Amino acid sequence: MVENARSINIVASLILIMGVIFIFGPLYLTLATASHSYEFMLQNGLTWSFGGNLIANFKRIFTETSIPMQMVNSLIVAVGNAVAGCVLSFLSAYAIVYFRVRWASIVFALILATVILPLDMRFVTTYQVASNIFSPLNAVLDATGLNDAVAGLFGAPFHAEWSILNTHLGLVVPLLAHGMGTFLFRQFFLTLPKDLFKAARMDGAGPIRFLVDILLPLSRTTFASLFVLTFLSGWTQYLWPLVASSTAEMQTAVVGLARLVPDEGAVPDYPLIMAGAILVSIIPLTMIALLQRYLVQGLVLSEK
Amino acid sequence: MNAIDPAIHVAAANIRLDGVTKSYGKMPIIPNLDVEFRAGEFTVVLGPSGCGKSTLMQMIAGLERVSGGRIVIDGREVQELEPKERGCAMVFQNYALYPHMTVFDNIAYSLKIAGMTKAERRVRVELVAKMLGLTEYLGRKPSQLSGGQRQRVAIGRAIVREPSVLLFDEPLSNLDAQLRHDTRVELAELHRRIGATTVFVTHDQVEAMTLADRILILNKGEIEQYDTPKAIYHNPASVFVARFIGSPPMNILPVSGDGTVLRLSDGQAVAECRLKGSFQLGIRPEDIAVYTTANASALRADVRYHEDLGSHSILAADLSGTMVRITTPFGSQAPDSNVLLLSCPQQRLHLFDAVTGKAIAGAFTAATKEKK
Ligand SMILES: Nc1ncnc2c1ncn2[C@@H]1O[C@H](COP(=O)(O)OP(=O)(O)OP(=O)(O)O)[C@@H](O)[C@H]1O
Ligand SMILES: [Mg+2]
Repeated sequence: MVENARSINIVASLILIMGVIFIFGPLYLTLATASHSYEFMLQNGLTWSFGGNLIANFKRIFTETSIPMQMVNSLIVAVGNAVAGCVLSFLSAYAIVYFRVRWASIVFALILATVILPLDMRFVTTYQVASNIFSPLNAVLDATGLNDAVAGLFGAPFHAEWSILNTHLGLVVPLLAHGMGTFLFRQFFLTLPKDLFKAARMDGAGPIRFLVDILLPLSRTTFASLFVLTFLSGWTQYLWPLVASSTAEMQTAVVGLARLVPDEGAVPDYPLIMAGAILVSIIPLTMIALLQRYLVQGLVLSEK
Repeated sequence: MNAIDPAIHVAAANIRLDGVTKSYGKMPIIPNLDVEFRAGEFTVVLGPSGCGKSTLMQMIAGLERVSGGRIVIDGREVQELEPKERGCAMVFQNYALYPHMTVFDNIAYSLKIAGMTKAERRVRVELVAKMLGLTEYLGRKPSQLSGGQRQRVAIGRAIVREPSVLLFDEPLSNLDAQLRHDTRVELAELHRRIGATTVFVTHDQVEAMTLADRILILNKGEIEQYDTPKAIYHNPASVFVARFIGSPPMNILPVSGDGTVLRLSDGQAVAECRLKGSFQLGIRPEDIAVYTTANASALRADVRYHEDLGSHSILAADLSGTMVRITTPFGSQAPDSNVLLLSCPQQRLHLFDAVTGKAIAGAFTAATKEKK
């Protein structure tokens, strides 16, 4: 393996350089395009040179588009997804690992199944449920004939409606049905000494105290990893927010960005769109830069 | 260790198990156990791997539920109580220290849960730390300690609550030989000072022999023998116990009795005995004498190998088809010839039933008496 280390090094470097060009080329083009005016672009097309309109384009994003407000939406979705995902995963993994739950392995298998059944695959059903989250209950009542009994008693069958479409809640909740976090925490808990739980019980700590005093502080890194992963995934969601939000006020920044492209055949205002893209990327980029360590850890853990 | 401090000294409790059973699913682990650990005694539980030692400890501690029967600590039925209400403390094999807490917090955690004030906690923890020589490590995390120090923290965490029952599940098995020895001596000292009823699981017979007031030998969840170390060593109740205690273990030979003597399978007579039928004969390696001069009444065995351990050496020889081991004192030479002349003193022999393996009491004393 080690022989010819020199030539391997050269080849590896070449491949890396190609990769860097492949990644940075479009980024550079984004930055360059964002620095020109619409008129300049109409005349010259996309160019590799820099213009002087970058700041002006950023200003236009703030004055002419809903992107800033939509970034707040994105933030709500991303943080909501991350926080709720972390809490739910932590709790469910706790139950699966530390208690002799009946059917625990089946429950865990079901949770894991969500990893191979992503939201994109259950789109239509998810939309139906989101448009009335009582619809499964209604359907069950109808199917079992219970509703006939209810109708006999109260004069009308039970029927409830609550649509969470076009709300922040509706944007976040369907994203949460994802087992990766539970898996991540489970793997982490399994690496802890088994007797820790018993020792805490001997010391007089109940399940809640153990959770708060022992497990929570030990899980800090896992929390950070999962937070970064789910935050990024929430921020970059496209399809679900596109479908679930019907007004510009409720759309996320990524959707808003796509909406800057006019529907008719006119040439899109690429400098404006690119400036928006840069703005929208700043938050996840900062996040990655600051919490890179945890992101890598999370990816490694979820690979296992 | 420092002078005796009356502050950590507890009222030891009596533990009684009444028809305790335990099974996981359909698999019975402990079929039926009646045993009493007397107040203040140090009991060592010995047994092969998987015989239910840890299960027994955890049932006493309250970490596992009993499937049936009663556990009575200090006159109080506790089998339905939570661990913290039973007054037991436990030291685990892998210490199970809280990795994110300092030594101080590890030891103080149970006090904190019990609602003790910070000042009280400090006094208690410092007392325990002084007792275990941990004072200078109180600010460290477990990962910054050596194995032996972690072990002491685990012990400190257990005794800080002044439990009336102390449970140890193989606490020394992760330590190296020297540290094991030192910690063993300290544990004995600690038990003397604290006086809590102690149940101690181990695989190590030296620990068992030196620490125990009584040894409980378990086999497949049932008691083989429960007695003082001396009694267990000198009067093993069964072949199982005989093989379990002693190093190298007791030699067991098949013999048959014709009413006057016991004979080995090749016909050599070993001892006088009035019993008839087939038996298992036990003799400890250190009880076998080796003749250096020719002796007509000696047993003849073929030497197989010889191990010199410095303080003594061990001979392995083939005696009528069974490999026996013989401990010879330091200085004895490896035998020149291949044939070894042995004698087994009658008063050191143990006779066991051929089928059940249970000891047959008085098999030889009766024979000698009649001769007189
Ligand atoms: N949670 C459990 N579920 C099912 N079986 C178990 C469980 N815990 C222990 N057992 C079984 O119970 C038996 C006794 O286990 P236990 O841990 O008490 O053995 P042990 O005597 O402590 O052994 P060792 O000396 O190896 O520690 C074993 O056969 C084990 O497989
Ligand atoms: Mg065990």
